[in-house]
Amino acid sequence: MSVADMPNAEIPGAEMPDWFVHKKPRANLIVARWVPAALVGLPVLVLFAIVVYPTVWMFYHSFQDTNMMRLFQGNWSFVGWDNFGAVLSSGRFGDSVVHLMQYLLFGCVLQVILGTILALTLYEIVRQEWLRVILLIVLVLPMMLPPSIVGVLWKFMLTPSNGAVNQALLNLGLVDKHVEWFNAGVSLWAIIIADVWNWTALPLLIVYSGRVSLPPAVYEAARVDGAKGWLVMRRITLPMLKEVIAIAFIVRFMDAFKFVDLVYVMTSGGPAQTSELPAYIAFQRGIREFAIGEAAAYAIIIFAISAVLITLFLKYLKKVLKAQGIA
Amino acid sequence: MSEQTARLIRTLLLIFLGLWLILTLFPLYWQFITAFKSAAETNRTIPSFWPEVWHFENLVSVFAEPTNFSALVDSFIIATGNTIASLVLGSLAGYAFARFPRQAGGENLAFWILSNRMFPPVAVLVPMFFLFDAMPWGTDSYLSLIILYLVFNMPLATWLMMVFFRDAPRELEEAAYLDGYTPLRAFVKVTLPLVLPGMISVAMLCWIFAWNEYLFANLFVGTQVRTFTIVIPTFTHGSQTLWNLQMAFSMIAMLPPVALFILLRRYMVRGLSLGVVKG
Repeated sequence: MSVADMPNAEIPGAEMPDWFVHKKPRANLIVARWVPAALVGLPVLVLFAIVVYPTVWMFYHSFQDTNMMRLFQGNWSFVGWDNFGAVLSSGRFGDSVVHLMQYLLFGCVLQVILGTILALTLYEIVRQEWLRVILLIVLVLPMMLPPSIVGVLWKFMLTPSNGAVNQALLNLGLVDKHVEWFNAGVSLWAIIIADVWNWTALPLLIVYSGRVSLPPAVYEAARVDGAKGWLVMRRITLPMLKEVIAIAFIVRFMDAFKFVDLVYVMTSGGPAQTSELPAYIAFQRGIREFAIGEAAAYAIIIFAISAVLITLFLKYLKKVLKAQGIA
Repeated sequence: MSEQTARLIRTLLLIFLGLWLILTLFPLYWQFITAFKSAAETNRTIPSFWPEVWHFENLVSVFAEPTNFSALVDSFIIATGNTIASLVLGSLAGYAFARFPRQAGGENLAFWILSNRMFPPVAVLVPMFFLFDAMPWGTDSYLSLIILYLVFNMPLATWLMMVFFRDAPRELEEAAYLDGYTPLRAFVKVTLPLVLPGMISVAMLCWIFAWNEYLFANLFVGTQVRTFTIVIPTFTHGSQTLWNLQMAFSMIAMLPPVALFILLRRYMVRGLSLGVVKG
């Protein structure tokens, strides 16, 4: 029995997902040649002013010995790769890369895994439609909170002496004395905990919606063939959600390289720089410690890594969109 | 796999979902009860999991500090101003990309605009600070943040509006051309109403991102203009952190994004996955 013969192939929502359907290219509408160029030109100009110009500026200063005073006097000079050498050889940068790895593993990988499990559990096991909607809204709430509120809230809850988390852990008998959440070596975990609470919802929401848009006809066919449970999950659902999960992962991954907010609000990189991430140092060196040349070198390194990631992501996005017929 | 193992796994997954639900709600619960505690009660050595006396007046006393209310107003002005700018620029460019891809510069330009969305803000912070410092509006003004937030909101608006315009059937527009409509009139009368729901959702998404923003605001403003995101972490009384008032304030400040999310959760997914996943 083929998919098309099945009775419920007709009902709304049973059609194939968009990336199965290709759209035909068509002739253009007619307007003056300059109109589309002008419509696009305006935002491009704005982006040149607020993104391209600053990036070029940072690139230039990453090879200069600029600091705040020299900048105002206008007498900085060329120092070649010195800033990059200083950054790459400093223990501070090395440490922050280790911190970033820790954050990527738990802040991104763990979130996508948790989000995927939660989304599929929610869709496959919770039967009532209304309950699913309510649960989804509740689970996604943390994501809507401003990062500074998330930071303040968790800082408050993780207060070692009389915070809610320590008290709850004591009451449950999971620890026998207060955990010092903001000591060296622990404070990064405090940030990661807050971040997991804040952002697991993003992969959850994306994967859940991806699962909703999968065609029921395929599952009907699988049911007719006698496949069920884990087999359907492994052979149908997960392969069809591959792109969606990948996109959730890449979005989180790119966010990691610009992640500063919670570090700033919760620990300010402390104590003794043990919870600093590269983006935070770039910010701190330039703004608070006035070493603009070095901050620029940090920014350019982050920029280069991001550029590679963004290019990869866009390539992937293009492929997915092409298959959907959108681009 | 036997029927029993399957049932066991289902149960375990449900328990996990339930636990996660508790973990998600607990901080929000804590925020809620703290908002109604007295200052003394928040500072006890053993925290109470239920307020002894409900101090509902906390919600009002937050605004005894006049700068707190003006911080919400400032945030509102900046978020709204930026949303309007992002939406106008983004819709026009999105329309051009959707309908005249070749004349508008092709998909590579569209992807380049989108790539700015993921750009690390630390790379632009310092130079923009000095640039705006030299400008007539300065760094500490509405306009400075309204412009800066375009870095992340305008690419998003452009991209999403492009996706929405592509979804709107062009045949109607072509028919309007045949009826003698000018391109501008066809756009306003025919296409715009079709994409209006999408446009509203893009507006709300941009508004939430601008409302919640912290990093730029923290560096650029703080004296004449203060957004609530930078006020809440510093909202103290002398050396004492007024946790109850901070929580009450943050509860009020997070209402708009939460309400918007509940209203438009279907579109939210599309925006957050850059149009790839349809909600």
